[in-house]
Amino acid sequence: MPDQANEFLKDYQAFAQQSWDAWMRYLQQQGQPAPFAPFGMGAPAAPQNDLLARSLSSLKAYGSWLQQAAGAGLGQMPMGNWQQPTAMQSFLTAFNQPFAQTVAGIDSASAFGLDHQWQSWLQAMQQNAGTFTMPSQMATFGITREVQLDQQALTAAMQQYAQINARYQGLLQKVNTQGIARLQEMLSQQAETGTQVQSLKALYDLWVDAMEEAYAAMAMSDEYREVFGALANAQMHVRKLQQEQTEHMCRELGIPTRSEVDSLGKRLQEIRRQLKSQNKGGSAVDASLVDTLQAEIASLRRELAASKATKVHSIERKASDNGKTASPSRRAKATRSATGKRK
Amino acid sequence: MHNPLHIDPQQAFGEMAEFQRKLAAGLKNLQGLGEQAYADTPREAVYREDKLTVWHMTGSNKPTARVPILIVYALVNTVWMTDLQDDRSLVRNLLAQGEDVYLIDWGYPDGADRWLTLDDYLNGYLDRCVDAICKRHGLDAINLLGICQGGTFSLCYTAMHPEKVKNLVTMVTPVDFRTPDNMLSHWVQSMDIDLFVDTLGNVPAELMNWVYLMLKPLRLNQQKYVSLVDILDNPSELKNFLRMERWIFDSPDQAGEAFREFIKEFFQQNKLIKGDLQIGKQPVDLGMVTQPVLNIYATQDHLVPPDASRALQKHVGTTDYTEVAFKGGHIGIYVSGRAQREVAPAIHQWLRDRGN
Repeated sequence: MPDQANEFLKDYQAFAQQSWDAWMRYLQQQGQPAPFAPFGMGAPAAPQNDLLARSLSSLKAYGSWLQQAAGAGLGQMPMGNWQQPTAMQSFLTAFNQPFAQTVAGIDSASAFGLDHQWQSWLQAMQQNAGTFTMPSQMATFGITREVQLDQQALTAAMQQYAQINARYQGLLQKVNTQGIARLQEMLSQQAETGTQVQSLKALYDLWVDAMEEAYAAMAMSDEYREVFGALANAQMHVRKLQQEQTEHMCRELGIPTRSEVDSLGKRLQEIRRQLKSQNKGGSAVDASLVDTLQAEIASLRRELAASKATKVHSIERKASDNGKTASPSRRAKATRSATGKRK
Repeated sequence: MHNPLHIDPQQAFGEMAEFQRKLAAGLKNLQGLGEQAYADTPREAVYREDKLTVWHMTGSNKPTARVPILIVYALVNTVWMTDLQDDRSLVRNLLAQGEDVYLIDWGYPDGADRWLTLDDYLNGYLDRCVDAICKRHGLDAINLLGICQGGTFSLCYTAMHPEKVKNLVTMVTPVDFRTPDNMLSHWVQSMDIDLFVDTLGNVPAELMNWVYLMLKPLRLNQQKYVSLVDILDNPSELKNFLRMERWIFDSPDQAGEAFREFIKEFFQQNKLIKGDLQIGKQPVDLGMVTQPVLNIYATQDHLVPPDASRALQKHVGTTDYTEVAFKGGHIGIYVSGRAQREVAPAIHQWLRDRGN
């Protein structure tokens, strides 16, 4: 039986490898990854954000876990050891650091991660440790003094970012531990109710539930809020300093900078707003002009009606003076006409 | 104690082999599928300005409603969630009920839109869209259907221009931005938004997507794709999955200034319910919303918690307030089977009861 299992695993591995290779080839046709991760929490990235790019690492982690779980003699472990955290952790080792990996796997090209930048920078610093003074601690002077100051500020900002990122990773690590504990609680509850997990997929789904619960609790903590905010702020600070340095260089080379474009855009938007507001104001003036004219017309109509009424009255009086009376219908018509116009 | 794990090794091998088989076979199915189209309900552009378009959606029958309804979507993601696919379309369902449906497609902001403020969006763009529809129909006021952030915008707009809104429907709309279960709000409280916007300018869509995925990182980035393997051999479900992926990740950047205002004034300072919000020079007082209001929220919404929406009742000025709880999540309220049966008829009936 063990021989059969080994043979199966060998075949399986070959088959799985072929399958991953095929997926990888397909993925490569879709476009190569580029470096990125928002807030610096990742490594490689695919600008096209293709489905395969996002899903492949997840599928591979799951496939590896299935292989490991089935191949490691599932019958023995952790069936009897599920209450021991180390046994569970070992059993789920294919998902080691799932949050850090997931975060790293979320790709994007537009929010530049700093991981790859500061890691190479940190390596350079470490290699020179002992013989090299940190730039941020050096005195600045000479014609390049301003440039040195800029560089020092950037170095300090990257140091700060690295420290906060380490804190963030530490919190994710805590979530891993708490997630395993939560999974054990869930299994305990199942044990009490007599229900059983009967497939690897069911166990995986339960593990995801447990990890998400642990993550949600952490994500809603004050500590996470503070570190998340600090991490975002630190990355923005680094990027701002980088932009300033780039702009400095561009100005020297006579290349338009983003600040200049922004400034133009801001002025343009203000002018557009003023224009729209004036147009709106213009309509209001037109409306009031129309009102005035309408009032004038109404007044003229009233005057005209009054003048006609006076004429009718004078005709009636004339007729009366001549011993004749105007017919009722004629009188009513004259009155109706005047009233109608008044309306 | 009873052992809760009972996984037969033979079965485990079987699961492993099946997973790999499906994966290998599924690649062929994926290769044949290109970009999945949305429902693309017939429509006519009736107003355009800068990058936005107001679409008049047309159904197979003439609308019976007397007053048209304008869907105001959020600036994040696209309005096509409301018209995702033939059999999952809020727009089509509303048309089928006899509603006369318009919607605003805000477009994709770029550097030229960096300085657009909430005043530009609400008292500018939205106001002119409403005017265009009013003029088309010879009406003084129309119905608004605001969705998510678009619901918040619709509330603000109604408070500032009450004479132009006859009835207001809000869906999964945040009103109280500081409820204790609001993860997004919790995260932004310690962020320096001025530094953020000053540095980024417009906020990239990829970054927004990343934040949304981080609300449930394993579920949305791993488990979802593991489960995908089970539908790789089902072309219909696979297409639905890909269409949804398209919608999730095909999202616009956020205009920097509007983003700055929205995060600071709404998320950080919660001014909408405090009553001290100003958009442009106009105060926004929810007490001014005296029109009939239908507020639909999702009971399992992880983006806009139910309490964030339900807060509207306490602050709105109307005496005709109706609340509908939809059993589902922030997206399920548009695309689930239940949504197709319940949401559009509820909106239509509510409008009809108000003489629409």
